[in-house]
Amino acid sequence: MSAPRTRWQWLPRTMASRLYALLAGGLLLAHALSFGLLFYERYEAASSMLMTNLEQDVVVAVNLLDRLPAEEREQWLPMLQRRTFRYSLGEGEAGPALEGATSREMAGTISSALGPRYSTNAVQLSRDPEHFQVHVRLHDGSGVVIDVQPSVMPLAKWLPYVLALQLAVLLLCAWAAVRLATRPLKRLAQAAENVRPDGDGERLPVGGPAEVAQAAGAFNAMQDRIARYMKERLQILASISHDLQTPITRMKLRAESMDEVPDRGKMLDDLDQMQHLVREGIAYARSAHGNTEAPVRVDLNAFLDSLVLDYLDTGRPVSLQGRIDAPLVTRPHALRRVVANLIDNALKYAGSADVEIHDEADAVVIGVGDRGPGIPEAELARVMEPFYRLEASRNRDTGGTGLGLAIAQQLADSIGATVVLRNREGGGLQAEVRVWRG
Amino acid sequence: MEHADHILVVDDDREIRQMVADYLRKNGLRASEAADGREMRAVLDSSAVDLIVMDLMMPGEDGLTLTRNLRAGKHRAIPVVMLTAREDQTDRIIGLEMGADDYVTKPFAARELLARIKAVIRRTRMLPPNLQVTEAAQMLAFGRWRLDTTARHLLDPEGTVVALSGAEFRLLRVFLDHPNRVLSRDQLLNLTQGRDAELFDRSIDLLVSRLRQRLQDDAREQSYIKTVRSEGYVFSAAVTIVGEDG
Repeated sequence: MSAPRTRWQWLPRTMASRLYALLAGGLLLAHALSFGLLFYERYEAASSMLMTNLEQDVVVAVNLLDRLPAEEREQWLPMLQRRTFRYSLGEGEAGPALEGATSREMAGTISSALGPRYSTNAVQLSRDPEHFQVHVRLHDGSGVVIDVQPSVMPLAKWLPYVLALQLAVLLLCAWAAVRLATRPLKRLAQAAENVRPDGDGERLPVGGPAEVAQAAGAFNAMQDRIARYMKERLQILASISHDLQTPITRMKLRAESMDEVPDRGKMLDDLDQMQHLVREGIAYARSAHGNTEAPVRVDLNAFLDSLVLDYLDTGRPVSLQGRIDAPLVTRPHALRRVVANLIDNALKYAGSADVEIHDEADAVVIGVGDRGPGIPEAELARVMEPFYRLEASRNRDTGGTGLGLAIAQQLADSIGATVVLRNREGGGLQAEVRVWRG
Repeated sequence: MEHADHILVVDDDREIRQMVADYLRKNGLRASEAADGREMRAVLDSSAVDLIVMDLMMPGEDGLTLTRNLRAGKHRAIPVVMLTAREDQTDRIIGLEMGADDYVTKPFAARELLARIKAVIRRTRMLPPNLQVTEAAQMLAFGRWRLDTTARHLLDPEGTVVALSGAEFRLLRVFLDHPNRVLSRDQLLNLTQGRDAELFDRSIDLLVSRLRQRLQDDAREQSYIKTVRSEGYVFSAAVTIVGEDG
């Protein structure tokens, strides 16, 4: 049943998960891209702002400190401090020359901003994270240290939460979209599985998005068409066989009124067979066409007992075993036909039938067994098809129409029962009708 | 053999009508033919008819209408064997409800029709017509049981379907149609003779005991079917016709 899956094996199985992966993956990627771009842009802006600020700040601060009397400088320091750089008085720490690119750029900005009026010296304190000092000599000979720890603005604390929330919203929306797209499909598949030939199947509600409504409408129309074709088929079959009955009746009467001629018996046999075929044909067409019989509570013990007695009364050996405890709600005429067809089949091929009934957890099982030739395993399923006959041993000499089992199968289906055939232990065929307890 | 039963064959198909009539004549019966209701009434008015063979499907007045009119008029006692086209249950039901005494499904063999005709005549002669009009009723009640005469099964007080075999149904039907009348074994055997004449080698006693079992009729009390020593059986419960609502 499943298609070869070699190239796309890694894909998830269901359309829902594929759609979901595609949608969520695409959205995530797009989101990551725009977030990254935004971040980069912000970084650029922030760092260029940092440089400008640095330039102005340092010029103002150093000139201010230079002009302040030495004893007042200390108290101005906190006011000059910025997030990335602080000022202190003194000689500062010793260290190697600048190595980091940012440090060098910033130190260059500082010294060029201060101009030739101040001598500066920059030392690296650490590379990672970058940390450096610029030592400035004021005009009164004292030193000022600019301690710089360059960093772009840190991420706000709430940013990860917002990000997580965004992701959640994104995944949720993707899921909702997938559901919206695949749910009608699932419903459609379900309804298609429940299509019955008589058009009694589930009708899809024509609503929702335009495409879904259109598909549902088309599906319902298709169901109606199937029902109409089936009805037509039944009517054609019924009227053909009905119209055949008058000529067959005439032929039969004519054959009977003939004087004894050698072929009279054969002719009557042929007519009987034609008549049988016509009747079975109607029965088959009807069995597919739903069941108008109302379900009633049936005592299945009496049901089988009377059925078996009808066979015994006409001299056909049918035995009955087993009893069940409680009545069952079912359609007795259809069920009778199902069981009778199975018994007829057993009688035809084995000459006798063993009927048996027992309870199961959620069903009642009626078994019809025979000791005939059985059926090869490979053909067990096919013998239920209309007009299917086994070769050789079970052929048309036995006079069947090839419809008995097909009728049993279809009728059982129409009353919610199942028929299973298997070969019986010790030889012969065993048919089981499983009637589910409602 | 002085008296040959007079059978009237009503069918719009000329060939079938003639062949049936010929066959009946060949077998020692008197036969008349009618193509429609008008001809049928003409024959009925001019001579005594013992049984009518009637086609269900006829243009104009069909078999059902004719039978119904027949049952309402002065010829209501004449038994009718209906020829139906389909072995459909509804056809049979309608036919019997409209007052046909039996039916034969097309295509039929002439000898089968003859057998049905003889059985119906025998049955109507065997017993005087039923005083109660249970024959056309769909639902009959007796004791704790109800009998659905079209579906041919019993219903217990809870409404559970209890199926009957063909022979059991026919026997019960005879009892219900003739309550409180002693019926001999011969009468019962004849009246319950099935379509396939299957009751040849079985005693009526066995069938009665089967029916009692089905009715859960306790042998000691024998509330429904009583044995009348050396005479036969009598159905002793009251039988009522249940209306549509019941």
